[in-house]
Amino acid sequence: MAQTGHLTAAPAAPNIWAAMPLKRRVMWLRIALLVGIVAVWEAVAASGLLFRDVVPSLLTVGRSLFDIVTKPDYKVTLGGSEIWIPEFYRHLWVTTGEVATAMTIGGLAGLVIGLLLGTNPFLSGAFERFLYYLGPTPKIIFFPIMIMWFGVGPGSKVAMGTISCFFPVVLSAAAGVRQVESVLIRVGRSFRLNSWQMVTKIYLPAMRPSIINGVRLGLGVAVIGTLLAETKLSNQGVGFLIINSYSTFDMPRMYALLMLLFMVAIGANALVGRASRG
Amino acid sequence: MAAAPNASARPGDGGSASAEPLLVVDDIYKQFETPEGPVIAVDHISLKVMPGEFLSVIGPSGCGKSTLFNIMGGLLDDYQGRVSVAGETVKGPHASIGMIFQEESTFPWRTVIDNVAFPLEIAGMPKAERHDRALHFIDLVGLNGFERRYPAELSGGMRQRVSMARTLASEPKILLMDEPFAALDEQTRLLLGDKVVQIQQQLQQTTLLITHNLTEAVQLSDRILVMTYRPGKTKRIVEIKLPRPRSSEIVGSDAFGHYVAQIWNDLREEASRGLKDDESRRAERRR
Repeated sequence: MAQTGHLTAAPAAPNIWAAMPLKRRVMWLRIALLVGIVAVWEAVAASGLLFRDVVPSLLTVGRSLFDIVTKPDYKVTLGGSEIWIPEFYRHLWVTTGEVATAMTIGGLAGLVIGLLLGTNPFLSGAFERFLYYLGPTPKIIFFPIMIMWFGVGPGSKVAMGTISCFFPVVLSAAAGVRQVESVLIRVGRSFRLNSWQMVTKIYLPAMRPSIINGVRLGLGVAVIGTLLAETKLSNQGVGFLIINSYSTFDMPRMYALLMLLFMVAIGANALVGRASRG
Repeated sequence: MAAAPNASARPGDGGSASAEPLLVVDDIYKQFETPEGPVIAVDHISLKVMPGEFLSVIGPSGCGKSTLFNIMGGLLDDYQGRVSVAGETVKGPHASIGMIFQEESTFPWRTVIDNVAFPLEIAGMPKAERHDRALHFIDLVGLNGFERRYPAELSGGMRQRVSMARTLASEPKILLMDEPFAALDEQTRLLLGDKVVQIQQQLQQTTLLITHNLTEAVQLSDRILVMTYRPGKTKRIVEIKLPRPRSSEIVGSDAFGHYVAQIWNDLREEASRGLKDDESRRAERRR
């Protein structure tokens, strides 16, 4: 080093940032952003400029979050014995069930109708227009009708989730059918596949990317539709909990619930992502 | 297949039983409606392919070769004339006819072995058995060691061989190929031609090849049917009396060059007619 030092050592030291791999730099920027947000948030909370708990200290939010997921305040009977669990899980269970049911009904309907529209020019000519009109409409406007049809319980929430997720799934499925290479269909015909084999052996596997994309978009809007419906009129579910915290002005609890919801949504998306790769 | 009448097993026929053609294309006529008026794609073409024979149909672009291919494969109806295999009239895709397409046609979501086993899977063969059979055909096209790969991991020539193995696995009486090597470079094409010759001889596979490539046609065929440009008629049938077994080395021989020149002589006229037609149509569209 001593002999050659004046040639090699000098320029490396000052520019650590430029020498860092891109990934590392992105990570540092993210951390900085997070720290910045937390600092501003805490400053506003401590300043007392805003009314009471509108911006609560993150410490309070954290305590509330801890309570929500650990404090047993709800009694369930499991196989004759009574156990106490945090009530949040019951509500999460209700919402998850609603979304899952909505995804099953809306997703399957969307897939089947999308396949029909994609393979049949007559049907698509007659009906596809309407789907494009209805697709971007905010589905919450149908909620009063759904309440009349399916009651104020989970039924109307499932209905909201179902009509929300139906549209992205049906439109991606119809588009996916048309993207299937025509030669693959000719191969299927030359091997004399029947309609069912055509769908299961050629169309569905070839459409996999569009289907997964549709399910992903559908899951997102199904969660939105269901939660939105819960915040409007219900007595259970995560949406109900959030709006309930809001009406009792328990802001730390509301923020904590929103954060929990965030994590659940990220987890669900990651699950779909994993399924698409596997 | 069980219903196929035994046309070739007539008593008293003796040694000439094999002289019954396996594929008969009788007076096919097909016309398409286009915005510029009706176009006759195939104009009363007839041909016969003998068992074990390799017949090529060659013609310029736009002469209706692919239409003929689709008609013979049963993918196109609404035509005049008759196609029959071993005496049985073909309506729609037929189990005795295996098709290999010009385009990339492997299933990208299936491994090589599952691609090749596809027709066996459709036939309801159990997994172990169909994989066993598929291996045989993978070996035949020279892709051993690639069974578990996906098509995306293979080259274009290898993928086309997967398609070939898949069609062969259905054990068709007649193999129909529509410019299967059109997308490949010349060297790969010649080497794959060797492979095709070898497989065809080994299986005694009756084959009909649609092509626009002269070298390919002469390299592979027993007979070549030269088609005219619109309307697509039979211009000439040339018998290729080159010795078998053949390999791509024959490409340099005098006899080979003689055949190529002879066919090109017929083809040149048609191809230049097609070229002029195409140019004038383009000019009109620009106006």
